[in-house]
Amino acid sequence: MSPELELRVASDWNEVGRVNQAVSEFLSGCGLPAEGVDKYTMVACELVENGIKYGHFSGEKDVVNVRVWIAGGTISVLVSNPIGNYSRTYLSELDRTIQWVRGFQAPFEAYIARMKAISREPLETDKSGLGLVRITYEGRAMLDFYLDENDTLSVSAVSTLE
Amino acid sequence: MAKAQTFTNNQLTIDVADEERTITVHFLGKSILRDPNDFVMPILLRTLGEAIPARKRIVMNFRDLSYMNSSTLTPVIKILERARVGEGQITVEYRKSLKWQDISFSALVIFQTPDGRIVIEGTD
Repeated sequence: MSPELELRVASDWNEVGRVNQAVSEFLSGCGLPAEGVDKYTMVACELVENGIKYGHFSGEKDVVNVRVWIAGGTISVLVSNPIGNYSRTYLSELDRTIQWVRGFQAPFEAYIARMKAISREPLETDKSGLGLVRITYEGRAMLDFYLDENDTLSVSAVSTLE
Repeated sequence: MAKAQTFTNNQLTIDVADEERTITVHFLGKSILRDPNDFVMPILLRTLGEAIPARKRIVMNFRDLSYMNSSTLTPVIKILERARVGEGQITVEYRKSLKWQDISFSALVIFQTPDGRIVIEGTD
């Protein structure tokens, strides 16, 4: 049976620390080297951060669901959360960013381009937009997303295990 | 005599040590801040504001950071750029043997200047 981790994460920023710890322990338990543990923990945490930031949570039942599993030489991270009307802007941005990154020959080039863009932004701008690019560069992951009929957004990151 | 200050937010600690020729900004722990602009940026801006007139080099030491979200890199990038186009002197130190640090911080080499004012340095 393929190793798998499932977490239900409340829309509370302090939960990111718990996800970091849980994913890191899970991946270590799967026998991944420290380098892989760091890399894929980062992938999960960046996606969870986006889920909490841009999700729409109307009650305690609304959570961010996290799944991490290893199968057939790949590691997959799937983060799902409900979205609302104000999340539509994020959805467009998510789509644009994924397409934008795919337009580069190498994720490193996208990462450098994003860093240069950030360096030109005003100091008070707190939005980095670096997380998704980092997932493709540092995590060597293919990003994708889908929105289901219940307005649940699922973002996946799939990497080949090195 | 060196002046030292410690700032803590969640799992991140930043130690700032003002010494004769350098001001060291030492990052320790994990940075999973939601708004690093509210915590990290003021510390870095104040340090840059003090270092330039005193002609001191800022040493940003990330070697003891075990995790950092991408948002935390934003104020670092902006301060490096501000120093690059101005008069600041900054050395970024990271742990080359930690793969994630090597990947994240070595990319900052784009801010390095030929005159050695901005240096990105990975060591073991």
